[in-house]
Amino acid sequence: MGSLSELACEARRRLLIMAAYDPGIHIGSSLSVLDILTALYGTGRVKFNAHNGLSTRNYLVLSKGHAVHAIYALASVFGHLNSDELRETGSLGSRLQNHPEDDTPFVDVSNSGSLGLGIGMAVGLALGLKLRGATGRVYLVTGDGELDEGVSWESFAVAASYGLSNVVTIVDQNGAQLDGPSDEVLKKGDLAGRFRAMGFFVQTVDGHDVDGLVEALEAAEKAGTPSVIIARTVRGKGVQGLEGSVRQRIPRDEALELAGKLSCR
Amino acid sequence: MIEELTPREAVGKALADLGDLRNDVVVLVADTGETTRAKFFAERHPDRFFNMGIAEQAMAAVAAGLASAGFMPYALTFAAFMARAWEIVRNSVARLNLPVRLVGTHAGFSDAYDGPSHQALEDVALFRVLPNFTVMAPADSCETYRAVMASAEVKGPVYIRVGRDFHVPTTCDMYKVFEVGKGYVALDGHDVALLTTGQMLSFALDAAHILKEKGISAAVLHFPTVKPLDLALLSRYARAVKAFVTVEEHVVHGGFGSAVAEALINLGPKPMAIMGVKGFGRTAKSPADLYQFFGLTPDNIAARAEELISLTR
Repeated sequence: MGSLSELACEARRRLLIMAAYDPGIHIGSSLSVLDILTALYGTGRVKFNAHNGLSTRNYLVLSKGHAVHAIYALASVFGHLNSDELRETGSLGSRLQNHPEDDTPFVDVSNSGSLGLGIGMAVGLALGLKLRGATGRVYLVTGDGELDEGVSWESFAVAASYGLSNVVTIVDQNGAQLDGPSDEVLKKGDLAGRFRAMGFFVQTVDGHDVDGLVEALEAAEKAGTPSVIIARTVRGKGVQGLEGSVRQRIPRDEALELAGKLSCR
Repeated sequence: MIEELTPREAVGKALADLGDLRNDVVVLVADTGETTRAKFFAERHPDRFFNMGIAEQAMAAVAAGLASAGFMPYALTFAAFMARAWEIVRNSVARLNLPVRLVGTHAGFSDAYDGPSHQALEDVALFRVLPNFTVMAPADSCETYRAVMASAEVKGPVYIRVGRDFHVPTTCDMYKVFEVGKGYVALDGHDVALLTTGQMLSFALDAAHILKEKGISAAVLHFPTVKPLDLALLSRYARAVKAFVTVEEHVVHGGFGSAVAEALINLGPKPMAIMGVKGFGRTAKSPADLYQFFGLTPDNIAARAEELISLTR
């Protein structure tokens, strides 16, 4: 296996293949969150085939469920999914659905799709682990757009109020949402300041620097308080023609051409 | 004695007792520990009691997370405000078929003082439409206690609708064993069947006595579980009686009456009336004033039944 960056690049290539076969995937969002997920899976913090009931295991909640294809791509790169199956994603009979459902592989605790809901789910899971005396952590990955939702802040307030240091939140701050740039749709203000005011340990990092992300995760895990990593990312990252654009869907020919052009070594 | 408790006190007692029996039971409230009497649980099991603040949405989402961690969460607030969390309940609880139990107190007209903002008359409809959900509306404190205790055995999510303080103890000696999904014959009869859920049971029994004096034999069938509905009981009476009247402390759209109608359309339709409320509630000094104002009285139930019977002659 190559370096984490090389693996992430290969995952990007596979995302493009999926985009060629499934017009339902959100390619831009999957590309922006990919390095964050690479840092989590690549370091073994979360596993592709974890099983419930282990008191030491960690959990991943991908609240921005529309980027679930990034998990499928990584699962295939890490050898947990036959890459041929990627072409089936989004088909009626496929288990690789376009948002995490209860029968979707690799996402065993939380379905998502409706924005903001994964945050409360992750906080409840962390509360439950703490009550059990379990040592595992919950890694919560959210978008920045979904921080418009009231339930997001209700849930963060619960995490702060109950001192849940076993939940690490990573915000994939790609600065884009459906109707345009995030701050133009609705001002997010000083995001780091908002979390800090609630008592969170806050770090802001480059969300495409896998090594930097891993360092931030290590610091967050030692914080002893609820923590958040604001990962500054770019939609469509790593693919020429998509990087920095708001495009979520691309025609098959273009997707295959871009996949062919991507050089990962 | 449970019949001396109010319905919400029966909820609190049942939760505290369930907490003794099962260590997976956890309780969440939205600044409603006092008003829902969930504090009875908190007093006995403080480590398993979580206040979410005035945040019903987080309460539902966090409950889903706790259920994912292997717990059995009971989440309590006013029935009217549980509705705020509906979409979260749909997507995070019902879609995953998690064992989350929602208890909506102050349902129907029971919170007369606070008026329409607090009077949930739509909650049965809202939770009945969700796949995987079981929906219960017990009649009095005794049945509330039994319903909450029995809910722990249900596999998927549950909604239990409970009143605040008003109730007429009716079921305490009516049957021996409470079963989720089972309807009960409160009174046998062969001309018309009065079907009720929740606190309307005692009103229907009073209506049956009025009808008896007029020579009409009315059965009173009580359904503390609205979903799944006891189809066996319904089909037995679908053959026996000439007409059906459903009575509920809820809007006439999408609630208990609708559930019965959906079932009867397959079992052999008969003349039927759905009695309930059209529109929102009102501020009043007592639920009794509201039952009167909205026409949910034994006299009106009897009159409606008589009218339907006359159509069949």
